[in-house]
Amino acid sequence: MDDDVIVLDNLTKTYGRRRGLDGLDLRVHAGEVLGYLGPNGAGKSTTIRLLLDLIRPTAGRARVLGLDPRADAVALHRRVGYLPGDFTVDGRQSVRACLRFLAGLRGGLPAARIDALAERLDLDQTARVKSLSKGNRQKVGLVQAFMHEPELLILDEPTSGLDPLVQQTFLAMVTEAAHRGATVFMSSHVLAEVQAVADRVAIIRDGRLVALDTVTALRSAAVRTVELTFAEPITAAEFAAVPGVGDLTVTGTVLTCRLTGPPDALLRAATRHTVTGILATEPALDDLFHTYYAGADRAV
Amino acid sequence: MPSDVFTKTLTDDRRVLIGWAVGATLAGVMYASFYPQLADGQMAEAVANYPQAMREAFRLEDLTSAAGYLGSSVFGLILPLIAMFYGAATGARAIAADEETGRLDLLLAHPISRTRFLLHRFAALAAGALAIAATIWLGMLAIRSSAQLTGISVAQFAAQCLQLALLAIAFGGLSIGIGAATGRRALVFTVTAVTGVLAYALHAFAGQLGINGAKYLSPFHYYIGGEPLRHGMQWADAAVLLAAGVLLVAAGAVLFNRRDLNT
Repeated sequence: MDDDVIVLDNLTKTYGRRRGLDGLDLRVHAGEVLGYLGPNGAGKSTTIRLLLDLIRPTAGRARVLGLDPRADAVALHRRVGYLPGDFTVDGRQSVRACLRFLAGLRGGLPAARIDALAERLDLDQTARVKSLSKGNRQKVGLVQAFMHEPELLILDEPTSGLDPLVQQTFLAMVTEAAHRGATVFMSSHVLAEVQAVADRVAIIRDGRLVALDTVTALRSAAVRTVELTFAEPITAAEFAAVPGVGDLTVTGTVLTCRLTGPPDALLRAATRHTVTGILATEPALDDLFHTYYAGADRAV
Repeated sequence: MPSDVFTKTLTDDRRVLIGWAVGATLAGVMYASFYPQLADGQMAEAVANYPQAMREAFRLEDLTSAAGYLGSSVFGLILPLIAMFYGAATGARAIAADEETGRLDLLLAHPISRTRFLLHRFAALAAGALAIAATIWLGMLAIRSSAQLTGISVAQFAAQCLQLALLAIAFGGLSIGIGAATGRRALVFTVTAVTGVLAYALHAFAGQLGINGAKYLSPFHYYIGGEPLRHGMQWADAAVLLAAGVLLVAAGAVLFNRRDLNT
């Protein structure tokens, strides 16, 4: 699996006594879009800054595009587009000057490509950076990350500050990058932002990986609310021990509960009676997300 | 449009740099133009009553010659302190300011090594110091005749101004070095400015304190101890200042490469 684009082995980073990352193992395959999710402070930015050699691991190691982030920093950065979580540049310059300068650090890029990206995001290149709104400043960040068509895009909270329309444009840009073979590693604290484009989702909490799977698979393990209606009254006792059932309430002929994981056991228990109605909510994706957060909470 | 860190730093900071150059030149030219009023010896008479120690410390032994007057006031006190503060302030911005605002993350995620980035910023600081010194030199030449400063040659003025630029570069090297090692702007500026003032005091008072040898520790000695306004370019002194700046930056680069960038 040496062609994996990002390989993290037991990656650990401590700040004094505080743990930023705690033995993270993760592989990102070539050409995939990985959503990197976690609440604020989970270690998302720490991971990203380690990938770019802005900080160094306390233990473990990282390989990115087959390179050592520290020893091969310059060669690696040439092939990576990076959007920092807090994109800031000198506010005194115009957007155009800023983008040309950053392109210059990469040895120069065709002006037409920069202009096309800026136009697509509806970004005015004549404006001074300090006069831009948060959303427009984020667009500058997106342009500089995408403009050299890198093999690997590392995007830290890319959608923050973007209005819904621009978010759609951004997601289209990610999809196109993936189609031309690029790998995308993007962090977010909102699952809904990445689920449309992510092949897989990694969820971290307190510096540890708590889940790594496709959105579909994560969803099947999620919590949903189930309401069953029976022909005759039933008792709560016969359902209390069914695997995955919680928050059980029975009112006459109606049973409601929260169901975690596959519904098979619950359905088998239910069909001992005559079932007249069934209602199951689609797991809300944010609930799914919180399942993992809460799970990690219980572990602490 | 600039596409490398050196040019970009200079163009982004051009207003600040023009401010330093104009400010320093105006202060220098203003004080230098007082010379004709002092050349008649009244000031020298007044100063003759000052304690010997004070006259030595502030180089007031010879106020009647142009070189003596400029070497004590303009080039002896005002301009070197301005040069020192330019080095401290510019050096503090070079790494620490960008790091504290979070801009450094983006720049260093580009294909430029930390060492190279540091050298570009140091080169920009040095170019700025030379530009300020050149402006002061032109200012001095502009008033040279009218202020009766013709006792100092054009080359001697150039030598003194170049030594001034090198003094700024030495303190700039200290400032950039501390910034590269720590990334904290307030610390950089404070340490450099305090070091500068102490070094000035050491240069001025080493003789009185009976530690004459200690003056060799002060960059101000290498800046003006050889009296470039009388004797022209002091190449050995110039080399010491330049070497100090370069070594401090090199030490900073080593530590910069080893540490984490602050968030």
